[in-house]
Amino acid sequence: MRDDLSHLPPATPDEIRALVERAGLDLPEDLLRQFIAVWPGFEAMVRRIPRGRGYADEPAHTYRPTRVVRG
Amino acid sequence: MDIAFLTIAELSRLYDRRELSPVEVTRALLDRIAVHDDKLHAFIRTTPEIALREAELAERELMAGNRRGKLHGIPYALKDIVETAGIPTTGHSKLRQHHVPAADAHLVTLLKQSGAILMGKLATWEFALGGPSYDLPWPPARNPWNTDHLPGGSSSGAGAAVAAGFVPAAIGTDTGGSIRGPAAFCGIAGLKPTYGRVSRRGVFPNTFTMDHCGPLTRSAADSATMLQVIAGFDPDDPGSEDCPVPDYAAGLDGGIKGMRLGLVEGWHTSAGAHPDLTTAIDATIGVLERLGAAVEPVKLSSLRDYTDCKTTLSIAELYAIHERDLRTRPQDFGRVLRNRVLPGALIRAEDYVQAQRWRTVLAREQAMALKRVDAFVTAGALTIADRADPNNPDRLISSPSITMPFSVGGLPAMTLPCGFSRAEGLPLSLQIAAAPFAEATVLRIAHAYQQATDWHRRHPILV
Repeated sequence: MRDDLSHLPPATPDEIRALVERAGLDLPEDLLRQFIAVWPGFEAMVRRIPRGRGYADEPAHTYRPTRVVRG
Repeated sequence: MDIAFLTIAELSRLYDRRELSPVEVTRALLDRIAVHDDKLHAFIRTTPEIALREAELAERELMAGNRRGKLHGIPYALKDIVETAGIPTTGHSKLRQHHVPAADAHLVTLLKQSGAILMGKLATWEFALGGPSYDLPWPPARNPWNTDHLPGGSSSGAGAAVAAGFVPAAIGTDTGGSIRGPAAFCGIAGLKPTYGRVSRRGVFPNTFTMDHCGPLTRSAADSATMLQVIAGFDPDDPGSEDCPVPDYAAGLDGGIKGMRLGLVEGWHTSAGAHPDLTTAIDATIGVLERLGAAVEPVKLSSLRDYTDCKTTLSIAELYAIHERDLRTRPQDFGRVLRNRVLPGALIRAEDYVQAQRWRTVLAREQAMALKRVDAFVTAGALTIADRADPNNPDRLISSPSITMPFSVGGLPAMTLPCGFSRAEGLPLSLQIAAAPFAEATVLRIAHAYQQATDWHRRHPILV
């Protein structure tokens, strides 16, 4: 069985409004309504990401110091 | 002789024989653009003075026997997120409508040194993501095969311009398929090189960990010529890899006899795929087998998995890029871009890191499969080009992408035409991908296929 967050209920419009505000965004009402309409598709996508990795499983963007100093 | 559809290789031969000159070609193509681009909107702006000046210089040098290379005197155009000193670079956005860069992108410097001729800046989806959009300062590009349809995106103008015979080559960028998609929908060749193969310096970012620059051309051989010039290490691009650049033309004619190719199971037959696609891919496999390759099934994760991983990473990185403007002038974004980037504000740090850890797993499964086969083959797009309809639903979330898997893997991948849909007469496409830095393998397979077929020699008729 996949270890993800798909079982969680979708955020309500009021919860989305609160999250947008906490992100520091002050959107006009018409733009906020557009966002509330599209967010559920993105939310479902993010919740499908598998979560049950081993402790030491590395992300793909591991830091390499020579990359930032050579330029 | 129709100058509009000569390849880079053909133009070079004609220059060598003094049967055609860069100035003649540049004038002919500028005239063609002037006549037809009001219907296609492939260009945001042409640069005729620069083009003619560079063409005259190339002509003088070629006549004097001072040939710089295969791109000397060859016209090309740039997606308008690639910076050009003194020439506006807008990202097809109101936000950068008047932005004039002080310096060229690294790859523009390389193309200038090669003697190539810049014809202008090409339409894109807004900042290489938001599109098609109908509320921007410029209209979306249209598909030259049928202007009721779109050319795909985000390198939409690049796909349209090359297919329309406006230029033999263009530079696009590809984060999730933005070179390969337009190439597939416009019936041309589009190559996304390995991540780190071509410098991104001076190119407006989309997703730092997945942005690539590469060529759109009409033949695989021409893609090899373009890549030869723009590939290489750039110490000022933190993603650039210091890896030798081979001679991409050297192995093109080597054929594919004895190669092992992996047909990815279930991808090109996904729900929503065009009904003619399976027949076209079956026929393509037949051609590859007759050329001597062994084609076997390969199992990779689903397109949905790859698309979820890629899109989560992208929207988080995109939001970081656009956060200031979203806070201060959100109404200046096109609706599509704004609604694709704003979700990044709600992605949590742990979501992003878990997606990066997933990327490692997905890239590793591709690497493991590539121990058994020389390359993957699949479709270049699941559908034909969309109709131009502002009411179309946003596909970013609703439809898994067949190009994103090789973005996640960072692999070199190319799309090229492999047929046309029966009802609509629009291009269908093949996709080939190989191990990191095995662009030569991708190009060799693509070239062999194009030597055995003539899909790439079919061109739209502009009226």
